[in-house]
Amino acid sequence: MSVVTRPGQADLAADTQGFAILVDGLRKRYGSLVAVDGISFRVEEREIFGLLGPNGAGKTTTVEILEGLRDADEGRAFVAGIDVRKDPQKVKSLIGVQLQSSAFFDGLSLLELLDMFAALYKRTVDAMGLLKKVDLAEKAHSTVGKLSGGQKQRFSIATALVNEPQILFLDEPTTGLDPQARRNLWELANSIRAEGRTIVLTTHYMDEAETLCDRVAIMDHGKILAMEPPDSLIQRLLDKGFRGERVERSANLEDVFLDMTGHGLRES
Amino acid sequence: MLTWSSLKAYFRNRGAIFFSLLVPLMIMGIFGLINFGNSTPSVNIGIVDQAHNQVSGRILSSLQGIKAVKLHTGSLDGEKHELQQGNRDLVAVLPASIGQGSTAITAYYNQGNPQNSQVAIAIMNQFVDRASFAFAGISPALTLDTKPVQSRNLTYVDFLVPGMIALSIMQTGLFGVVFTFVQWKQRGILRRLMATPMRVRDFFFSQLVTRLTTVALQIVVLLAVGLFLFHFHFAGNLLYLLIVGIIGGGIFLAMGLAISGASKSEETAAPIANLVSLPLMFLSGIFFSRSNMPEWLQAITQYSPLTYVSDALRSISIGGASLWAIRADLLGIFVWLAIAVVLATRLFKWEVV
Repeated sequence: MSVVTRPGQADLAADTQGFAILVDGLRKRYGSLVAVDGISFRVEEREIFGLLGPNGAGKTTTVEILEGLRDADEGRAFVAGIDVRKDPQKVKSLIGVQLQSSAFFDGLSLLELLDMFAALYKRTVDAMGLLKKVDLAEKAHSTVGKLSGGQKQRFSIATALVNEPQILFLDEPTTGLDPQARRNLWELANSIRAEGRTIVLTTHYMDEAETLCDRVAIMDHGKILAMEPPDSLIQRLLDKGFRGERVERSANLEDVFLDMTGHGLRES
Repeated sequence: MLTWSSLKAYFRNRGAIFFSLLVPLMIMGIFGLINFGNSTPSVNIGIVDQAHNQVSGRILSSLQGIKAVKLHTGSLDGEKHELQQGNRDLVAVLPASIGQGSTAITAYYNQGNPQNSQVAIAIMNQFVDRASFAFAGISPALTLDTKPVQSRNLTYVDFLVPGMIALSIMQTGLFGVVFTFVQWKQRGILRRLMATPMRVRDFFFSQLVTRLTTVALQIVVLLAVGLFLFHFHFAGNLLYLLIVGIIGGGIFLAMGLAISGASKSEETAAPIANLVSLPLMFLSGIFFSRSNMPEWLQAITQYSPLTYVSDALRSISIGGASLWAIRADLLGIFVWLAIAVVLATRLFKWEVV
């Protein structure tokens, strides 16, 4: 079963029309280890695309190639219509990146950091407006060190939005957050998508992928095993006769937790 | 803009600024107070006066007139005891027969401290000669006519302050860069910046400006403290001092980048940085003149980057040298700068691999 239809080399660039990301035969080796093994996929505009897989599956390498942080050995990748292997700087100017462990200069306030990031894109930004959007306006004059985990992630997303990117990459944005902060971040992701941006998300939380993603790709050993909307993947498994150990209920423990402790953010 | 942000971030880190100035100031304070080499060397001469007559009295009073001599009088046993304790460099016995015909003056000296006892012996000899001439009524065939010449009174502080400036330039360059960059790498700050279309040369330019501003600030503060607190005699041109300091700072910045590029964590970066800085600190004539070193060591250490920098700074601040006058040192500085920049570009990596 072929998961992806592979267009010919010639018409690939022309084919980027309507797609935020187009990857064809991408391969990356580290010595004898093949981190990314000739993968191909497309991400449609305005969708939230999830890249799932255990540690070492090749998700991070894939994302880093798309972000222009790393070059591939083989294959092609078009991001926002630009060949990232030929012009990574141009791609960087069109995308926003939130990294897993991104820290920021200690000495600067949130406002100053956003201004600095905007300057790196050679533009100016309404820093306060951006902070309002990620619900951090009252922290405008604090430093990143004084923020909680969820606030840090939201600020990290704010820095990724300074250039009004067409595509936003979120790398495990909710790892380590409490349920309230997690839900809050999901809302933020949905509102960003509603602005017409595409989001590529990596996560280890399947409920997160299920809730947020229009389509997910499941990766392991450098290959894509499946790529479909979460619901159809689940249906496919059920069709094979799979039955979960627990009886499916329409609520889970997290719903109970949030019902008792409320949806309000616990920060500051 | 990046440069401005980086300057703001750097100077808000008051702790770092404070320590980058505190350590050299502390060293300057300690060494300045001890004030090596500035005290006039004095010799302790003990006189056992067994005559107590006019002649012995005259000898005593003229010895007292010599600045470099600390005169002690006492009994033979008492003074010999002091000699053995190392409190006298020489003990001379003026016998009761002094002033009556030819008299031998016996002098005991401390073998343990030959330098000082030689000085003491020479002083005593000169005395005895002069006294002999006087007693015999002979005018000396040769006399020494001494004339004072006005010279700038160089003290140890004058040697130390340029050395301390050189030292702080090295420390700022090496440690300031090594620790921040390794930390930035580990915490993902560099990766985040690389994910923007930032140009690499803009980034390094901003870092260079930030550090070299610190270096310039350090030079001015150390110089001011030297001038006002330690009576440093500054005869040179501040601009030249800053130029040499900033170019010299570039050497150590590049070295710091090379070290932070080659090391994966602070645990490996710190020992490497120390391995570079400690030998340089003690072998480059920072605290003491290299002329005290064995010649083979002098031959090697004259090529140390810190020697070039501290010698150049010293020539400027003490000797009032022009940039042209220190061109040999400047050449050394530029050669080292080139070496360090090549090393930095080869070894620097953006990520922890």
